This record gives sequence, C-alpha cells and structure tokens, in this order.
Amino acid sequence: MRQLPLGVRLRDRATFASFVAGANGEAVSLVTTLAAGEPGGCAWLHGPAGAGKTHLLQAACALAASRDRAGYVPLAEFAGGEAAILDGWLGLDCLCIDDAQRVAGDPRWDAALFRLFRDIEERGARLIVGAAAPPGALDWSLRDIASRFGAAAVFALQPLDEAGRLEALRLRARLRGVELPEDTVRYLQRRYPRDMRTLYGLLDTLDDAALAAQRRLTVPFVRAVLSGR
Amino acid sequence: MRALEDELPEQQFNTWVRPLQAVQGDGALKLLAPNRFVVDWVNTHILARIGDLLRDGSTGDAPIITVEVGSRRASAPGPDASGPVAAAGAAGRRSEGLVVGARLNPDFTFAGFVEGKSNQLARAAALQVGENPGKAYNPLFVYGGVGLGKTHLMHAAGHLIRERDPDARIAYVHSERFVSDMVKALQHNKMNEFKTAYRSLDALLIDDIQFFAGKDRSQEEFFHTFNALLEGQQQVIVTCDRYPKEVDGLEERLKSRFGWGLTVAIEPPELETCVAILMSKGQASGVALPEEVAFFIAKRIRSNVRELEGALRRVVANSRFTGRPITLEFAKDALKDLLSLQAKLVTVENIQKTVADYYKVRVADLLSKRRSRSIARPRQVAMALAKELTSHSLPEIGDAFGGRDHTTVLHACKRIREFRDSDQRIGEDYSNLLRTLTG
Repeated sequence: MRQLPLGVRLRDRATFASFVAGANGEAVSLVTTLAAGEPGGCAWLHGPAGAGKTHLLQAACALAASRDRAGYVPLAEFAGGEAAILDGWLGLDCLCIDDAQRVAGDPRWDAALFRLFRDIEERGARLIVGAAAPPGALDWSLRDIASRFGAAAVFALQPLDEAGRLEALRLRARLRGVELPEDTVRYLQRRYPRDMRTLYGLLDTLDDAALAAQRRLTVPFVRAVLSGR
Repeated sequence: MRALEDELPEQQFNTWVRPLQAVQGDGALKLLAPNRFVVDWVNTHILARIGDLLRDGSTGDAPIITVEVGSRRASAPGPDASGPVAAAGAAGRRSEGLVVGARLNPDFTFAGFVEGKSNQLARAAALQVGENPGKAYNPLFVYGGVGLGKTHLMHAAGHLIRERDPDARIAYVHSERFVSDMVKALQHNKMNEFKTAYRSLDALLIDDIQFFAGKDRSQEEFFHTFNALLEGQQQVIVTCDRYPKEVDGLEERLKSRFGWGLTVAIEPPELETCVAILMSKGQASGVALPEEVAFFIAKRIRSNVRELEGALRRVVANSRFTGRPITLEFAKDALKDLLSLQAKLVTVENIQKTVADYYKVRVADLLSKRRSRSIARPRQVAMALAKELTSHSLPEIGDAFGGRDHTTVLHACKRIREFRDSDQRIGEDYSNLLRTLTG
C-alpha cells in the first residue's frame, strides 16, 4: 500500500535566508537595508523571469513587516482591474511592487503609480519595484513617473549560473529538511533543464515521492521516480 | 497570524494579510486594513478562518472580529495621517479638521541646493520670496523640465518662510493631490472646509500645475483660491513642466494670472553644475566621491538631476557592498549595466518617433520626400540628434531617413548647429528632445 503524502511538506519561504544571491549580492544587500528600515529610498529590480525578483520582493516585504507596515502589490494580478486599487496602498512604510511592466503605459495606472510614488517620497517611506525592464525602457504615458524612477537605484538581476542554481537547489532541500546527496544533484544537473523553476519542480516531485515511499533520494530511486512520471 | 502564514500562499499573505493591523479590546478584535479592497478580500476569504483559529487557541469566548479601513497611528485614514514623519513635519495645518498638503521635505533647503548658471535666476527669486513672502514676487512661477529642482526650490522657500515665522501656515500640495482632495471634499459635502483650509494659508506651494490640464472644475476652484490668496498678500509659488502659455487645457484667465508675478525658468544643469550636485549629494550620504568620478558620471548622464542621483546611489551601494573605495575604475564597473542600457535605448527609430511626437508630425513624413519647412526642420533636428546620440555613420543615418545621401545628413547637422545659436526656439526644442531621449 502506498502512503499518500499529506500536506506535511515544509513550506518554501521566500526570505533572504532562502535566496542564493549569486552575482546579485549588491542588489540583495541594498534591498535588505531598505527593507530593514533605512529611510527614504527606492530600488528597482529588473531581469528575466526566474532571476529572483518576486522572491526578493516577498523577502523584503516579510522583513519590513516585522517592524513596519509593509505590503506586496502583485500588479500582474491587478492589471485589467481598476487602477484605483493602488490608492489603497498609500500610507505604508515599505511597499514592494511586482511586475510593473504589466501596467506601465496605461494612463490610469501610471497616474495611480505616480500618486503612490509621491506619497512614498513625501513621507520618506521605502519602495522596491520589480519589473521585466528598467524604468527608462518602459513606455510610460506620464513622463513625470519615468523621471521619478530615474532616482531609484536600478539593478539588473542576473539569473544564477550553473553553480548558483545547484546551490539554490541544495539550499531549498536543506531548508525543507530533505537530504539531497551530491550524486543525485549531479544526476539531475546532467539530465534535466536547469532553470530554477524546473529544478524546484523536480524537487517537489521527488520530495513527495520520497515521503510516500519512505525512501532516501538516491540516484536509483530518483531515476525510477522521474522515469515513471 | 503565524498559522495563517502557513496556510496561505506566500504571495496572498504578503498582499492581503501583512498590511493588516489588529486592535484588541472588550472581547472584540478589530482588523485595520489599508483599503476597501483588502477589507473585501479579508471578509470573503479568511475572516471565518481567523475566527476558527482564535477559537482553537483560546479557552474563553472567541472575540468578535471586524475589518475596516484604517490605521493604528491615526483615527482617520488617508495619506496625511500616515506616518510619524508626516506628523512631526507639521507642514499641513488643521483647519476645521482638514489637513492641507504634505510636510516640507527637510532635505530640500537652500543650503542643499547647488547653484549653477542654469538655475541661478530661479534660485534668487525663490530666495527673495522666502525672505519677503507675499511681497517680493507673487505668484512666483517656476518652470522647467522634470528632475531639474523645481520642487526643491519651492520647499526651500517654504523652509525659509517658516524659519522667519515659525507660526506661518505653509502647505506643499501637488496639483494632482489638490484635484483628488477637492473631489473628496465634493463627495463628502465638505467644500466649505476645503475652501477655508486653503484660503487661510500664509503660503501655498503648488507643484506641477500641468496636472490641472483639462480638469475644469479643479481649475475653477484653484482660480478662486489663488485670487483669494493673492488678494490677502499670501504667497503662492507654482511650478510647471513648461511655460504657462504652452500648457494645453489650462484656462486662459489662469495663465494670465500666473503672469502677474514673476515667471522664471530652470534649465538642465551644465556639466560643472552636475559635478557639483554629485559631490554635494555624495557628501550628504557620507561618501568621498573623487572629482574625476563625478565628472565621469556627469558626462554620461546629462538628462536630469534625478538620474544623477540614481547613478550615484548605484555607485554608493556598490562601494558599501564591496567595501572598496570609489575610484574611476570602480565607478565604471559599478555603472556598467546602467550605462550600456542607456546606449542601447537610443536608436534612430526611437529618435524619429520622439521627434515626430514632439512636432506633431508623422514618422512617415520625416522619411518622405516632402520639403515643406514644417517637415524639413523636424527632419533636420532628428538627423542631428541621431548623429549626436548614436554611433551610426552618416550614410547609415541617411539610409534610415528614407534613403538620403550622407551629405544631406551633414548639411542638417550644420544647419541645426547654427540654428541652436541663432534661434532660441530651435535651441530649446533641441535641448528638450535631447533630455527626453537620454532621460
């Protein structure tokens, strides 16, 4: 009889501790100080999907919330709705806005973002933005907002290199309490796509299977599980 | 809270639960949310679950939970009551319960303003106004492109007024905020309070007046406020991103009133001023910035002061992170992606589109054979910009403009160079476009 994995897997938290910085140490360091309360400042993180923008924004929000009023605004989710929703996030101490490119250029959203930015600037609060592109490359309808974001510290997040990706995989396994032997890591590295999403997805599958079968993640076991998918 | 964090997806938790504040008392738990969207979401998705969690965790009666819009720091929601800094700044004034404007930014003083040829007139005027509010120039109208220091000067004048008269009621209000406050006052039937609050100010600093364009009701109200203040010899300082007469959608009577006082321009800073600004900002953030590094940054980022600030932030962040002192090599390295980004962004197509938008012609016209002056001049401006801002050869630029000869491009560059000295209008157009393209 197969034991069904119940919802006992430890959650993967997007914190600074679970983030492998790779070549992005400078961005991580600045975002950490902003989230931890360095007054008045704006950082803009851009880069391709999977570079870690959302992870960093979530981590910043969680850290800032431990002492201030903080919020995370997923614009990809809000786009298409009414821009007035942004007014609701006025007045926070630290705001993390994700996927700015999803609304940039729409006059209503640009106006709402401008309001938000001014509110933050006037109160000396902190703002961290994630987007697919740097602020100057987005097609804003309002040049005032492009100008304001020009004062931000802009960072191009670099996706992790090979070593960094494997380190991230090991770290995530460790934080979950899963033992991931080195030869298993090498096995995965050689046979599967190496973007973080695929790797984390594999880890989920293996973690569940190991729990159900009460087995360790040895290469033979991993091979059997993944070939039977 | 911790249990919820485990149950909800992290993104949902950060978006909807983190900004909540709890107020407990008398068997009731009140959750304060930043807005009605959060209230709705919490009510629909997790209110029942919070009730369950509280019941599980306590022995007595579970509290009654309510969710409403609000903040623990102040009873009334809204951006004015939003932080200790805002309260301490005390820029706004309570008049029959209505707060006007935001705090004066403590960093925006005359001491922190770097003077140069491009802004000395505006600075002198603001200084005069700060020393003799209501008497020197009323209104003072400061205009210029984004990120050149208009807001800084306006705040500096405000600080000076307050220094000389600590009881002076000074409000800094962004025009967009004036509009939204007025809409709120209309909705809640509080126009009288709104009017009284504004008209009892000693100085009104109103920023980015171009935001009034097309908003007739706000302009009407502002017109009356403006007149009342001027009549009472209360100071008004106005900023705008362009010359008042050039703002489309602004009432004529308002434009003409703006001309009653003094109108001054702020130009983009010249290289030396950019360097001085960088050095001063470096000093303010406790960083030793060598002059050659300041020159390096200033030469490459010439669009506006905010971008200089952004670049400096990067260099400083990099220096703090690596623990290395700032040298020229270091700065080049730290700004690598920022600068290559800028180089990448300016393309001939981009220039053609920007110039066409600016002169309200079509890109197709620029590329056509038409030679009427209304097309030929913008075309020449675009060619000259392409030569200055891209690394394309003259034949390549000629090609990109409908297959023209490289001598045509050369001629265009020469003409525009001459015009920039002899014709103020073209000179201004050119620097505006340069700023837009590199900003």
